[in-house]
Amino acid sequence: MTVDVASIAALAPLLLISGAGCLALLLDTLTKGREPALRLAQLGCLAALAAVVGQWTGAESGQPIWSGMWVVDRMALFLDALLIATALVTLSVAAPFMREHDFENGESYALVLFATSGMMTVVHATHLLSLLIGIETMSLAAYLLVASWRRQPAGPEGALKYLLLGAFAAGFLVYGTALVYGTTGGEMSYAGIAARAGQAAGNPLFIIGVYFLLTGMLFKIAAVPFHMWAPDAYEAAPTPVTGLMAAGIKVAAVGALVRLLAAVLADPGLALGHAGWVRVLGGVSFLTMTWGNLAALRQENVKRMLAYSSIAHAGYLMIGLVALGQKVDGAQPALLVYLAAYAFTTLGVFAVVAWVGRRDDERVLVRDWAGLARTRPAVALAMTVLLLSLAGVPPTGGFFGKFYVFRAAMQSPDLAWLVVAAVLNSLVSVYYYLRIVVAMYFRDPVQPWQPFRSAGMAVVLVAIVVVVLALGLVPGPAIDLAAGGLGALR
Amino acid sequence: MPTYAYILVSLALFFVGTAGVLLRRNALIVLMSVELQLAAGTLALLAFSRALGDQKGHVFAFFVMALAAAEAAVGLAIVVSVFRTRRTANLDDVNALKG
Repeated sequence: MTVDVASIAALAPLLLISGAGCLALLLDTLTKGREPALRLAQLGCLAALAAVVGQWTGAESGQPIWSGMWVVDRMALFLDALLIATALVTLSVAAPFMREHDFENGESYALVLFATSGMMTVVHATHLLSLLIGIETMSLAAYLLVASWRRQPAGPEGALKYLLLGAFAAGFLVYGTALVYGTTGGEMSYAGIAARAGQAAGNPLFIIGVYFLLTGMLFKIAAVPFHMWAPDAYEAAPTPVTGLMAAGIKVAAVGALVRLLAAVLADPGLALGHAGWVRVLGGVSFLTMTWGNLAALRQENVKRMLAYSSIAHAGYLMIGLVALGQKVDGAQPALLVYLAAYAFTTLGVFAVVAWVGRRDDERVLVRDWAGLARTRPAVALAMTVLLLSLAGVPPTGGFFGKFYVFRAAMQSPDLAWLVVAAVLNSLVSVYYYLRIVVAMYFRDPVQPWQPFRSAGMAVVLVAIVVVVLALGLVPGPAIDLAAGGLGALR
Repeated sequence: MPTYAYILVSLALFFVGTAGVLLRRNALIVLMSVELQLAAGTLALLAFSRALGDQKGHVFAFFVMALAAAEAAVGLAIVVSVFRTRRTANLDDVNALKG
């Protein structure tokens, strides 16, 4: 391979994000106060966003570069933009949150960018090595971010559970890679594996290897039965970090699964054992959404409830993945639109949760939210819109995301039962989302309190609500962007 | 030794590691068990790499070693900070969260 300017320029968004992370870390030690590091990190995000937009026109059909490690195609750029926006929102919410709770540190800002650079690597990866590096960069930064709230006794504890299960998943990824590598005759790039998969499918070690890889990825999107870490880690993490994990990590892992399932294992002759991964993932999807919703019903803690709700959403997302495996037209853009709506809604919901807590009074129980509509009507209204979007009520982005994914899945007769189950699950989920709305509007406050004032939070929240409503009212542009395609790997 | 012998050893290592994660309750032992899993992956990669006469497995093994070191560093830091607040590294006693 040759290294030229073009192949380095293809990495521009990633280099800007990780470079800004390194510089923010350095700047934080050289300056007084945390403000310069924060501003530099936000600036890095904006520059990377500009670089992503600049790459858009040349990326109609992405060819793997860097010896088949990396691809710049429309899907990767779409998800890049989403991930960078996630980082920007996380930074902007984390700053006032950490100030209010008195643990502001510059390392957190750098770690958010490092985690984001890992997520971007994951969605660009077309090689098991770049996939592993991306997954681990993202995860190691996330473990530390969860543990960063040291005064909260649950913080390190949630991080420990997250780390042990995350490392366990990494073990599966590495061993799966080894088995796939050995049984395909030395292939690690997705294109190479796809070419050899048909021959290797008869080898039980290959099938075990593929399922180990899938297990490692399902841990990251918190699919049942690999979800045990999620409620604890989500509850213990500083709330903006919870938003980053629920939105960013899920987006990145689903992006990687789209590539793995659509490109590597799409060979129709590849039954992968008696059941086939389509049926296995369909079952996992059903379990994930049902378990997530039933567990969310009995949560009193808003953060835990939203953690289970994000598990349920992983189940809906997997319907899109299974539809993609069934070669359904339009499954991929539908999935990307769902991811965009889900990511923004989730970020917004956790931004509100971060906002209502005061120092030494995190206000995470449902009854703590009683009467919020009277003290802060605008915040309550924003939360209501976002919760309706999570529930999938029109005219929000969450509705259209679900609608497109379910409509795509309905084209395959094998998936009709999953869609029916998902619609029933969505109905169940309305109950626990509305519990928060009812508490905010119809209950008397136990004791009066005010969320802290922050102009930055208000701007972020208004922007998110506008995006979520725009995705619902005028979904056309988002669908056009998402229909950009998978590029050469298709 | 033929390749399959190495693979058998690596499979055995992997299952010892998996069992350790699932059955042991001390955070440090669980971290060690994860290292065993990664070592099993490395061994299988190297054996395949040797048998196929291909360098990619060797390179991947280096990355896995770096990954194992990074994970141990972060893991031990987190175990220490849990130990500071709870005075224990036993996962059954670490129960402020519902699990």
